[in-house]
Amino acid sequence: MTNISGNAYALTILSPIRTGVVKGEEIEYADKVRDLLESWNLLPNSPMTQVPQTYLCRFFVLDDVYTESLPGASVMDTFADVLPVVPDGVRRRILPKEDRLKSRYLVFSSNFYGGPQGDVDGYLRGMWNAIGEHIKDLWGYCYGFDQVRDAATFVSYMKKCQLPVTLFFVGANDEPLPAQLKALYLKQEFARFAVANQGLEAAVLRANYQAFIARVAPTNLSGPTWEPGQYRL
Amino acid sequence: MIVTKELDLLDIQGNVLRVYGRFRYPVARYVFLNLRDSAKGRAFVGAVTGRVTTSANWGPGPDQVPQPDWTVNIAFTYQGLKELELPRTSLIGFSPEFVAGMKGRKDILGDDGPSSPQYWDPIWRENRETREQDVHVFISLNAHTKGLLEDGYAWLKGVIEATQGGVVLLSGHLGDNHAVMDYQDGQAVMENGQPSAKEHFGYTDGIGDPVFEGLPRGSASVLGRGKQMADGSWAPLAVGEFLLGHIDEAQEYPPAPNPILLSRNGTYMVYRKLHENVGTFNAYLDEHAKHFPGGKELLAAKFVGRWRDNGAPLVKAPDQASKAAFDAQLAAADPQGQDALLSSFTYDDDMSGGRCPFSAHIRRINPRASLEFTRDPTDVPGSLKVSKDAFDTPGALTNRRRILRRGLPYGEVKDPTRDDGNHGIIIMILNVDINRQFEFVQQQWINYGNDFKAANDKEILLGNHSADERFASKAVIQVDPNGDDPPYFLSKIPRLVETRGGDYFFVPSMTALRMIAKGLVDPT
Repeated sequence: MTNISGNAYALTILSPIRTGVVKGEEIEYADKVRDLLESWNLLPNSPMTQVPQTYLCRFFVLDDVYTESLPGASVMDTFADVLPVVPDGVRRRILPKEDRLKSRYLVFSSNFYGGPQGDVDGYLRGMWNAIGEHIKDLWGYCYGFDQVRDAATFVSYMKKCQLPVTLFFVGANDEPLPAQLKALYLKQEFARFAVANQGLEAAVLRANYQAFIARVAPTNLSGPTWEPGQYRL
Repeated sequence: MIVTKELDLLDIQGNVLRVYGRFRYPVARYVFLNLRDSAKGRAFVGAVTGRVTTSANWGPGPDQVPQPDWTVNIAFTYQGLKELELPRTSLIGFSPEFVAGMKGRKDILGDDGPSSPQYWDPIWRENRETREQDVHVFISLNAHTKGLLEDGYAWLKGVIEATQGGVVLLSGHLGDNHAVMDYQDGQAVMENGQPSAKEHFGYTDGIGDPVFEGLPRGSASVLGRGKQMADGSWAPLAVGEFLLGHIDEAQEYPPAPNPILLSRNGTYMVYRKLHENVGTFNAYLDEHAKHFPGGKELLAAKFVGRWRDNGAPLVKAPDQASKAAFDAQLAAADPQGQDALLSSFTYDDDMSGGRCPFSAHIRRINPRASLEFTRDPTDVPGSLKVSKDAFDTPGALTNRRRILRRGLPYGEVKDPTRDDGNHGIIIMILNVDINRQFEFVQQQWINYGNDFKAANDKEILLGNHSADERFASKAVIQVDPNGDDPPYFLSKIPRLVETRGGDYFFVPSMTALRMIAKGLVDPT
C-alpha cells in the first residue's frame, strides 16, 4: 500500500493517549485533548493553516474500536463450520469474544504536497517549526511524547506512530500548495474579469486583459493570491 | 402499457392528483384556521370532510361522480394535528421537518434577506409564535367562477360559525395596496379575457408534472414526465414518491406515521407564497436583452428553458427558426400530442447546455438525466457528454427528487415597472418526503449549482440571489462548445422572487380524515 499519489502524500498518525486525569481539572487526558481540539474552532483559523503544504487534514480522538471476532477465520474453522467435529461451544470458548483498543488515540490524518519522493520528514519538520506549541499542548498527553525535544525527535516520534494506510481526501490536485492557492485566486479573478468585460470591442478587451494579467501576475506564486485556509470568496 | 397499479381514487384528496386549473377552475381561495377547542375542531373536520373533493372520476357514468362547481380540500400542520389530539405515538411518526415547519427550515430553504420570515405576511410572521396565532388547518376552495367561489366561501364560513368559537379564521394575508385579508386568493392570469396558464413574468407555467403509477390517463402522458429507463423508454414513477403507504423508487415504504390508515393515501404539502418582483425582472431582462445576441425573447427563454409564449422547450426549439417549426407542429397536434411535444425530451443532445442553460428553471427543477455527465481530457473545452456506464438508469439521480406542483398566480400586475404591487404565485408542492424531495431541490438545485457543474450559481428565477456586491449572483448561458460564440454571463442577478410565507402541511386521505374527525386514530 502506498502513501503517495503523484505528489500528494497521505499521512495517518495514531498516538496512544495516556490514561490519567489532568491535575486539578477532573478531566481525563483524552477528553482534555478533545477539548483542546474543539477550542481550535474558536480561533480565527486552524493552526494547521500555518503548516506549509497542507492540502487538507483532520484531527480526532478515537475512543475505541470494537470488533467481535466470531466466527473464526482459519481453514480449520471453515472445516469445523461444515463438519461439526469440533463442538461449537469449544470453538467459541477458545476465540476471543471481543477486541477493544488498549488506549484512546489521538488521530491525525493529513494530505500534503510531498513531492514525488513523499517528503514526510520535511513536512513534519515544517509542522514543528510552525506550530510547535500547539503540538506540545496536544501530544503532551500521549505515550512516548516526553522523548520529543525538537524537530528531529518529533519526526521520529511521529513516524513511530504512523499507520501504513492510504487515506486520501478528495479535493486537491497534484501541485504544491502555493500553486493551488494561486490557481484558485486566478479562477475567481478571471470569472470576475469575464463578467466585467463582456461584449467589449476587441481592442478594449485586449488592453483590459493585459492590465488584468499585469495585476494578477499569474506566475508570481507569492502574490496576489489566496491565503492558506481561505475557504470562501 | 400494462396497468400495474390502481389507486383508490375516492380515498385520495382531489388536489393531490388533479391540477384544478386544468379542469376549468381558474380561481381559488386559501383559508387558514386556528383550533381553539379540540372536540369542536374534530367536529369541524367531520363537517368539512363530507364536502371534501376526492380524486374520483367525474362524469355521468356508474362509477363516476358529478364534477362540483367548487372544490374543497383540507390539510393540517403538525400543531393542528396536535390540537386535534392525535395520539403521541402517531405524532412522533411525522417527519422532523414537518414538525419544525417552513419557518424553522429557513436556513435550509435559503429564505434570507427579503425572503426572511420577518418580512412575511402577518399570518405567517405570527405563525408558530403563539398558540392563538398558530396556523392549524389549511382549506382550499377552487371554483369555476368568482361567484361560485363566494358560494364556497359562504359555506365554509357557515361551518366555522357552527363551531361557536371552536375554530377561528386567521387573518393576515396581504392583498392589493397592502390590505390585510382574511384569505389568500389565487387566480389565473387573464389573457384576452380568458384564463391562461401564464404567471406574472409571462411564462407558461405548470408543464410537465410528474406521472406516476395508477394516475388516471397517466400512461398517455408518461413521455418526459415519468422516469426514463435504461433503454431510453419512459415508465411512470413509483406511487410511493407522492403518496404515503405505497412503495417508492427505492422499493421501500416511505417513513410515515402510524397507524398505516392515518398515512396511507396521504401526503405532505408545502404551501409557499412567492412574490414576483415584476419591475426588477422586466428591467433586468431589458437591460441584458440589449447585449444578448439572440434577442429578448430568447434570453427570457434561457432563464427558464422554455419560451414564454407557449412553453416550447429550448432543447427542441433553440432558436427562432426551430421555434417557428415547433409552433406549427404544436398547433397541429391534439392535446396528447401537445403534451408530448412540450414534455417529451431529454438533455442527451444538450449535455453542454448550449440550448438549455444549466441554471435554467426547468433544468434545475427536473434535471432528467443531465446530471449524469462526464468528459474525456481530449474533449473540446466546455463540452460534456452522457456518462453511459456509471448509472443504472438515466433517472438514477432524479427519480427520488421529483415533486408535484400545484397552485395559481395571485394578484394582478397593474404597473409592470414596479415590484411593490400585489403579484406572485401560490405554489403547493406535494411529496412524501419534504426533506428528500422539496428541500433538496430548493437547497441543492435552486440555491446552489455544484451538481450542475455550475459552482455556486443559483437557479436564475427562484435563486435567493444576494444583494451584496461582494457575493453578487451570476449565471452562465452556455453556448455550443464547438462554435465560435462566447458564453453569455448574467451578472449581478437581483432577487426576482421573494418568499412571503407558508408552512408544511399533511394532506390526509379521506379514510384518515374520517378517523381524525371521530377521534379514532389508534396506533396500537
